Amino acid sequence: MPPQANVPLPTGYQLDEYRIERQLSLGGFSIVYLAFDKEDTPVAIKEYLPNSLALRSTGDALPSIAEENVATFRYGMKCFFEEGRALAKISHPNVVRVLNFFRANETVYMVMHYERGRTLQEHIQKHKGEIRESFIRTIFARLLNGLREVHTHKLLHLDIKPSNIYLRNDGQPVLIDFGAARQTLSTDTPLLKPMYTPGFAAPEQYNSIRRELLGPWTDIYSIGASMYACMAAAAPQAADQRIERDQLVPAVRRWQDKYSRQLLETVDWCMHLNYLERPQSVFALQKALADKDRIVPRQTLLGHLRKKVKAFIK
Amino acid sequence: MKFTIYQESRPGKRPTNEDRIAYCYSRDALLMVVADGMGGHLHGEVAAQIAVQYITESFQREAKPDLKDPFLFLSGAINNAHHAILDYAADRFLPDAPRTTCVACIVQDSIAYWAHAGDSRLYAIRGGRILAQTRDHSRVARMVEDGLISAEDATRHPARNRIFSCLGGTNAPQIDFSKKTPLMTGDVVLLCSDGVWGPLPADVIPRAMSTGNVLQASPALLNQAEARGGENADNLSIIAIRWEDSYAEDTLGSVSTKTMPIDSFTTQMEAFAKARKGAQPLPNLSDEDIERAIQEINAAIKKFSK
Ligand SMILES: Nc1ncnc2c1ncn2[C@@H]1O[C@H](COP(=O)(O)OP(=O)(O)O)[C@@H](O)[C@H]1O
Ligand SMILES: [Mg+2]
Repeated sequence: MPPQANVPLPTGYQLDEYRIERQLSLGGFSIVYLAFDKEDTPVAIKEYLPNSLALRSTGDALPSIAEENVATFRYGMKCFFEEGRALAKISHPNVVRVLNFFRANETVYMVMHYERGRTLQEHIQKHKGEIRESFIRTIFARLLNGLREVHTHKLLHLDIKPSNIYLRNDGQPVLIDFGAARQTLSTDTPLLKPMYTPGFAAPEQYNSIRRELLGPWTDIYSIGASMYACMAAAAPQAADQRIERDQLVPAVRRWQDKYSRQLLETVDWCMHLNYLERPQSVFALQKALADKDRIVPRQTLLGHLRKKVKAFIK
Repeated sequence: MKFTIYQESRPGKRPTNEDRIAYCYSRDALLMVVADGMGGHLHGEVAAQIAVQYITESFQREAKPDLKDPFLFLSGAINNAHHAILDYAADRFLPDAPRTTCVACIVQDSIAYWAHAGDSRLYAIRGGRILAQTRDHSRVARMVEDGLISAEDATRHPARNRIFSCLGGTNAPQIDFSKKTPLMTGDVVLLCSDGVWGPLPADVIPRAMSTGNVLQASPALLNQAEARGGENADNLSIIAIRWEDSYAEDTLGSVSTKTMPIDSFTTQMEAFAKARKGAQPLPNLSDEDIERAIQEINAAIKKFSK
């Protein structure tokens, strides 16, 4: 039986010092609300509530948690804390700002600066197939500044995708949803297993045993996939399928008339299945994007190693 | 032939030790081997054990009392050890052969010869300076050499343990051979697994050996690497010799093979406990832990908000 959806807190509910206005979204791990603080400033509040472990029914504020799930629920909370802990140290215009953290209703809440605008996902839907090169370059150049800051703090985002890239009305992109930074989750808690988004997750994310394979290049794959999605107006083929049978048409071949070769090559570079072949740091990627004359390095690796990496990922 | 030798292998913070090491000498030739079984694969320690055992046995068959051609010996022994691992896997219908790195060194007539596959290393050190060193078969190491990433980045790179040559793999190992390297009195030859060199800055190993006192410097080096390896310290193994002038007076703790019978061997192989820890239960998060975490986060938010 698939887990049931959780019921959000109702409008007007007084949550600590905040008043709930409405639910912004409901995910498998958490609910996000628009709320107002004492000064009537809007905030976004994320409630830790994995529906595989904790269920809230209509009319209740407290979720019910089965006895055998309490330890796992609390363990997942630890991961929610990790996200808050890391985000708390990051103060960057292109990374969502955390304002407060508190405990209520037997769970925990993260209060964020409320951003006005829409997600890149919504933007792509609205401008299907007509997103210009200059838009992609501007948005991603700024976003990469934020991501660089994230990596500097030894945190990986691990769920970068158009719906987690928020476009503020002033044109600044903001990286949101560090929920997948639940990177501390181990494989022995299947109930909390992070859900990756097909199409945007890097191949090494499917291999949950080897968490040490994750690195800046993992987020960089997702950046490439998000740029690809801007051009295709659809998610690219999922990495686990690509490993079986790679049907992803390289950006260079697909849009040679529409975008510059250098941008297309950079997208393909980011989307290498072999993480060693991708830009190894955000800085390297930024350099490649900024230098329009640069030729992206051709594959240099022995076929031997590539085979090994593939065999390994399987 | 005269030398001082030290060998030790430790599990680090890992539940099992998948490293295997051995040395063996006849009157005129010395063999040292380090093999680091690969954890990602089934029974890494089995592969390492087969490699070390196979190579020492070959040495005992052929060093009578010296080897006709040390490089030929190394090439044959390492390749055959690779096939012995494949045979072991085939005999047991293992879906995948276990894998191991290997670095092996022969010293005879005061000349060192070595060969390796993978990222276990050999350093030849003279006066605290590296005279010669193996080049890891790892893409990350090559990226450092090519200036694509810094040595600092490499220590944290997740692929730092990934190697493109090993024994037991689908492809035959790529084996690199050294030059013939004449040893002088006081020279140190050190073999180690990546658990030793990995956590240490590049110049630490040669500097630690500058005194030539391998009996003291080797365990100290292991301590240092283990401490720096922290919570996750990998298996650590070392074999180090200090080469002695054959004509000098006996140095304390040194081995002289002068009086050994031509057909005898001395072999030292480290033995290991095989205990495996069970699955760890989830760490419990108490109410106090939760309160403390929230307080810490809010303190950080205050501190870092502009
Ligand atoms: N700080 C914020 N400001 C405005 N909207 C937000 C904010 N954070 C999240 N949202 C909205 O909530 C949605 C889901 O939030 P997200 O953090 O991605 O959680 P989930 O884990 O449920 O995907 C986003 O797509 C966005 O529309
Ligand atoms: Mg999201």
